[in-house]
Amino acid sequence: MTVVFSLEAPYRRAYELHRLTFGSGGPVVAIVAGLHGNELNSMHAVNLLASALQVQRPQGTVHLFPLVNTFGGDEGVKRWPFDDRDLNRAFPGDPAGTSVERIAAAVLAHSEADVCVDVHSGAPHVRELPQVRAPMSGRELELARAMGLPVVWRRTGERLDATGLVGAWRQAGRHALHVVGGRGITLDTEHSGTLARGLNRLLSSLGLTPPIGPGETVADVTRGEIETHRAPCGGFFVPEVRVGARVKPGHLLGYMQIPIGGDRIGEVRAASSGVVMTVRAWPMVHAAELLVRVAATG
Amino acid sequence: MNREGRLSGADVGAAAIGWAVRAWRSTRADRAAPRKEQPKVSQQHAVIEVELPSGDTVSVIRRRFCGGPGPRVAVVAGIRGDAPEGIRVAHELVTFLNAAEPRLRGTVDIYPCANPLAAHRGVPRWPFFDSDLNRLFPGDDGGHPPERVAYALTQDVLGADQVVEVRGARAAFSEVPQAHVRPGEAVATERAMAMNVAVVWQRTPGPAAPSTFAHQFDGAIVLEGGTGNRLTPGVGKDLTDGILNMLATMGVLAEADLPFHWASLQRPVRVTDEHVARVRSNRGGLFLPAGATWKKVSAGEELGRVVDPTSGEVREVVESPSAGRLLAIRELPVVFPGTVVARVVNL
Repeated sequence: MTVVFSLEAPYRRAYELHRLTFGSGGPVVAIVAGLHGNELNSMHAVNLLASALQVQRPQGTVHLFPLVNTFGGDEGVKRWPFDDRDLNRAFPGDPAGTSVERIAAAVLAHSEADVCVDVHSGAPHVRELPQVRAPMSGRELELARAMGLPVVWRRTGERLDATGLVGAWRQAGRHALHVVGGRGITLDTEHSGTLARGLNRLLSSLGLTPPIGPGETVADVTRGEIETHRAPCGGFFVPEVRVGARVKPGHLLGYMQIPIGGDRIGEVRAASSGVVMTVRAWPMVHAAELLVRVAATG
Repeated sequence: MNREGRLSGADVGAAAIGWAVRAWRSTRADRAAPRKEQPKVSQQHAVIEVELPSGDTVSVIRRRFCGGPGPRVAVVAGIRGDAPEGIRVAHELVTFLNAAEPRLRGTVDIYPCANPLAAHRGVPRWPFFDSDLNRLFPGDDGGHPPERVAYALTQDVLGADQVVEVRGARAAFSEVPQAHVRPGEAVATERAMAMNVAVVWQRTPGPAAPSTFAHQFDGAIVLEGGTGNRLTPGVGKDLTDGILNMLATMGVLAEADLPFHWASLQRPVRVTDEHVARVRSNRGGLFLPAGATWKKVSAGEELGRVVDPTSGEVREVVESPSAGRLLAIRELPVVFPGTVVARVVNL
């Protein structure tokens, strides 16, 4: 483990950006987790991968950053605690700028690689089936599919915003992927394991590690192939499915009830066959908020 | 089901849900109804009413003061919930305009608080979503509540002849009353020069500007001043008088109606980006400022020092890069390397 950047901090020891490097030579892959301090699945997945790489000895170089936002992690918060700024909105950063801009610049500089992956958990109020979000076509889509994660979500204009890490990598001409699994502020070991195996498959597809078993991609979809259910009004949403569940038209996905008294005010049912890829985990919902996503499977 | 993301009525039994929701809301409304009829506030309008999960609602309010024909001016405050100075200014304006309305030659729309839930807590962002409303404009009619608020506010303000956003100071700072306009906007600059501030800064928009409220409107003027998340004596009155004076220069308000003589107002200094230096700390620790805002400083003069938080040992003396005045000074002492601790305007 190497400290590639540090920053003096008041009241505590200096902030340190840690990087684990396995192997040498090309190709080079960089995997970053924990830009958000409350996304535990991403950290655990990268640490599981680190354990595997200690045995596998990659034919090439793998740089791992298991936890960038250590201060946010210490406090269980998403953002950099000092000024409450989102590290993933501070790219490409500035070596002479504010603390988050300096950290962002350091992450970008020390993650130079042929293929880069930014790993996240879902937001705290939703649980996501492990998925990779990729552009509609091209080399990055090939790399995304090689991960064998349960969902490949092809998105127009996916992460072109250069204030985010994936966008900044792409602006720098690198192949970059955005991976999400589980829920923020919650460790889900099953999802973390799925994410770690997906990352290992990516390395394997690039020839860095020995082949491992194939994944099971259950949905390879665009936005138009995702059935999105939103709350028709504010209320309390009770899910009746978990992520990964296969559903058919009419399947009860959950119901809305009045938060005080519990009267049921409506049901949410699947309109088509598919796999549940997102479920609301925090039940108090505003009107039009996301409840369930179903990825169509034909 | 609309596969693009909207839940259609058929998916959830719209009729049944609609009935149930209406019944629920009306029950709440009945319970909340006042026993006596409240006095009617004729110019008060809810730009948007946001339903909360508990069944409660929160509204963004517009107060409209409409006299004879003339320009329309929109004054918006409280886009972030930790800027009470702007909210105070809005209420001072409402108090004045309540009496002056019959003599207005034009329309003044006051939006006292665009982010009421955040103001309720004294935090910058819209709670729960933790969204910075001032990064969501022009908004999205089909999005989350803060996105819908941004959309509704933008649509409501559109068409105004002059838009003024009133903030306070940034959270960690004390700042002199100042107006920000975009470079090249001559009319806005001249109006800002009448707004009783110390500085009119023709400021180049940063990367985040397109998603801010002020950027949606040509010629928008942003007023700042005071201390972050606090009311500062005098600042609210200065900014209120400045807006009233601007209304007079636009002809919306008769000069005779101004509650002060125009000669008592400040004559601002007009500056561009090249006149304003951001001063950063190079060390982490506690920044202890050496002067208050608008203090004259010379090149190399100490602006403050960064000390070790435990031993008190001086780690860095922060100096002014040029002669001028202190436009802003950091008052929250904890700093990292690179934290902005002061702004100096080179006069």
